[in-house]
Amino acid sequence: MLPSELLVVWKRKGVIWPRYARLSSDNLEIASGLIEVYKQHIGEKKRVLKEFVGELEDRGHDYRFVRGLSFLLDRNSVFKCNDRVNPVDLRRKTFQATEKFGLPTKPEQRSQIIEKIASELKITPEMVEEFFYADLDSESILEKFDPLSPQELLEKYNLSLTQTLLFDSTELNFTTAGNWQKIFYTVKKLGLIYEAYKDDGFWVKIDGPASLFKLTRRYGTAIAKLLPFIVANPEWTVEAKILWKYTNEICDFKIESWKHHAVLRSYLPPISYDSIVEENFAARFEALESGWRLRREPEPVLAGKQVIIPDFSLEREGIKVYMEIVGFWTMEYLLRKIEKLKKIDVNMFVAVNETLACEKLANLEKHARLNIIYYRDRIPLAPILRYLKGAFQGIQAEQAGFLKNLPVIFTEPFVKFEEFAARIGVSVDAVRAALTEKTPPGYILLPNGLVKKDKLEQIGKKVEEQINRSGRLPLSESIKIAETEGVEDAASAIEALGYRIVWHGISTEKAEVIKPKNKGN
Amino acid sequence: MIHLWFDKGTLLLKGEIGTPYGKWDPRVGCYRIKAMHYCDVLSYLEESRIPYQDEVQKLPPLEPLKCSVELRPYQKEALSKWRHARMRGVLVLPTAAGKTFIALKAISLLKSQTLIVVPTLDLIDQWRRRVMECLSVEAGAVGGGENTVRMVTVSTYDSAYLQAELLGNKFMFIVFDEVHHLASPSYMQIAEMYIAPYRMGLTATYERSDERHALLPQLVGDPVYTVNVEELAGKHLSPYTYEKIYVRLTPEEQQTYDSQMAVFKSYLQEKGIVLKSAEDFQKFIMITGRDRRAREAFLARNRALKVALNSDAKLNLLADQLEVHKDERTLIFTLHNDLVYTISRKFLIPAVTYQTPKEERHEILENFRSGEYRAIVTSQVLDEGVDVPEASVGFILSGTGSTREYVQRLGRLLRKVEGKQARLVEMVSKETAEVTISRRRRQKRTSEALNYAPK
Repeated sequence: MLPSELLVVWKRKGVIWPRYARLSSDNLEIASGLIEVYKQHIGEKKRVLKEFVGELEDRGHDYRFVRGLSFLLDRNSVFKCNDRVNPVDLRRKTFQATEKFGLPTKPEQRSQIIEKIASELKITPEMVEEFFYADLDSESILEKFDPLSPQELLEKYNLSLTQTLLFDSTELNFTTAGNWQKIFYTVKKLGLIYEAYKDDGFWVKIDGPASLFKLTRRYGTAIAKLLPFIVANPEWTVEAKILWKYTNEICDFKIESWKHHAVLRSYLPPISYDSIVEENFAARFEALESGWRLRREPEPVLAGKQVIIPDFSLEREGIKVYMEIVGFWTMEYLLRKIEKLKKIDVNMFVAVNETLACEKLANLEKHARLNIIYYRDRIPLAPILRYLKGAFQGIQAEQAGFLKNLPVIFTEPFVKFEEFAARIGVSVDAVRAALTEKTPPGYILLPNGLVKKDKLEQIGKKVEEQINRSGRLPLSESIKIAETEGVEDAASAIEALGYRIVWHGISTEKAEVIKPKNKGN
Repeated sequence: MIHLWFDKGTLLLKGEIGTPYGKWDPRVGCYRIKAMHYCDVLSYLEESRIPYQDEVQKLPPLEPLKCSVELRPYQKEALSKWRHARMRGVLVLPTAAGKTFIALKAISLLKSQTLIVVPTLDLIDQWRRRVMECLSVEAGAVGGGENTVRMVTVSTYDSAYLQAELLGNKFMFIVFDEVHHLASPSYMQIAEMYIAPYRMGLTATYERSDERHALLPQLVGDPVYTVNVEELAGKHLSPYTYEKIYVRLTPEEQQTYDSQMAVFKSYLQEKGIVLKSAEDFQKFIMITGRDRRAREAFLARNRALKVALNSDAKLNLLADQLEVHKDERTLIFTLHNDLVYTISRKFLIPAVTYQTPKEERHEILENFRSGEYRAIVTSQVLDEGVDVPEASVGFILSGTGSTREYVQRLGRLLRKVEGKQARLVEMVSKETAEVTISRRRRQKRTSEALNYAPK
């Protein structure tokens, strides 16, 4: 974050955005030039360093840009006061001497006092002059400089520029692809309030308690602090209202990852697991290869205007089960959590650490129907798998029932199970099971879908013709035939017609469709 | 049952009913109320006979106070006006009229948890000292790296604003020193986010140029008592004389000044820019970011002003003046830090700026007060409210003249000693005020003025 006088913006027709430093060769050159200046001034006074920076400022660049970069480089530097003489003591002695010998209005009087002090402290008069105000910031010495690449510097600058603009924000709306727990934890820690809503994706609005009464910049600084956590993800969109102080108008500000990712990157460490328990669970579960896809910190679940961010989601063919791991807890906390969980309409189970239980577990028994699993050192997989299987079967059965009563008439030549399942929102297995049990009239069952009987016959006829004419038929040719009839899964269709496919390698060019001996015309 | 509690600078009310002061907050599913309406909400609930549970206050423990303050008649009158206005309101009294004592007396009468809000860190120290002296109790402090909340706590406006979420429910009485600051868009939130029903504002300059003082009655209360300088002058305040001494730059300085200023003026003329107000100037600074030539013009102007400000001639004049007033308590003011340090080095006298370490600043002011140090050179830090008693001579080193208000403010820091009037002297580089008038004419005008040439 930069001092606000170094903020550089464009503003037009109620839209405002920071003047980002593109990673152009010009800008990279300025950045690397400045980094060099800092490297070369290790051991020098800050005042001298800043004079050099000042010269770069006046070579045709926006001075605020150069000064902004320098401000960020200061934060990678350690400045130290000279500690050979304590300047405060030195001054005290001198001022006392001034009182004793009279205020020096003539140069001779002054040097007399300086010499007295010098001999008293056993240093030279020059050193008295040198160290008199050595504790001023401008007199401090650049002791250490931690260099960074020019590109990093520009990216840091752009992030800081955005944060500085957000100082004047009254609210922020964002959507992002992950890091949710960290974001909401930070929102709370910063004293902000969020409101989650669906609008072309999952969005969150951020402002503060007093925003209810009037537009206020009060929460701008906190909002700026939140930004790095949002843009640490690969995908995000951030919109804010800026109360521009110079004109007192509200301006819109918007940045999107696909447009600004090149200039704006946050340097937060990758998301780590909150606990060993979580990490251990994830590793063991994935090793099982159960068919369920494990995702950490999935998209939050809306509970009114609030959200619940489960630790994990487990997905399989459109079925989603959430999991929440509760390490340290009190009965009150757990009941509150359960109360919140009851408001949402999703499958969720809660793993509770029983060794850390602060209250009697017996009290919990009555909540057992909320899918509570107890664990000690590590989360047991067996009950989870049992639960998942149950959930899966239960949902499958539910879907099968739904499918059975679904009044549907097919007309297309080929019905792919996967597409149909996605269209009506059930699992592929459920579709397959339902259509196997009751194949619609006029259709023939294939492993991945249904094919219309007359189309299949049409394909059979054409394949037969080709084989009879040239004696052989490459699979690739038969695929073309099937496609002209609107059937995707040519290989299955052809096998269903009683032909055999002989592969000579993996290419469909080389595979051949062969008429078995026992197949008649 | 209605529940009422404090939530980050606001009140939340949960229950079957709303209140006239609340606003429904869909984000949390409760009524939210500005903290400043705390008392109003309670009276509403009481009058409507609605049962409620109040968990708002988190007050620090009370401590016994011993009040040794004796008020002067006009101070007594001010306090009684305030008490009759239901312990809310602003008292307008000139600097050094003893506003502090009125507030301390009010604290001892209320015996409630009190926050005193002040503009600067120096004033925190000063108020804490006064609380100790007059009420025999140690005051807490929030700001300047300290963070202790006690029955009587002193805070800067900045800290009171930034920490409103944490401090808003800890005090029943707030004193706003230099209350005109409170009307700014951000600071006014202090008044809104604290529950304190009792409020007192103190100032010598009630009116603001931006008219925002009109907000003060709803934030603190009406101005309940006003007394002006003339009514008190001579009786309780020490008058002073004011004179301006014009200084001529050395020929080299003059040349640099003229050529640099010409760059600046010709740019303004070419672009048709007129700089009349501070706002104009702010806009011009904005342009310097975009326009390289504007930036060059601006830098040229700064170089010119620096020459005028740091003129050797002026420092020589100061040396002579210091020689004349050798035995008197002397304050030297300049708005520019660089010049403060130049003077401090040249005359080996203590400097106080915003960069001075806190302990050292305290030590210097203490030594000046006790008479151990005779002279101090300083920038803005002392110009508001800080008591630096018994200086009888003041020098202002400015570039091209100071505003009347500024001069008056500094003048009030002076006291007459042994019946002798205090003296305030401003040193101005007169010739630099305008570059367009001819050199001859300028020379004439200079000699008309005090005709003070460098040696």
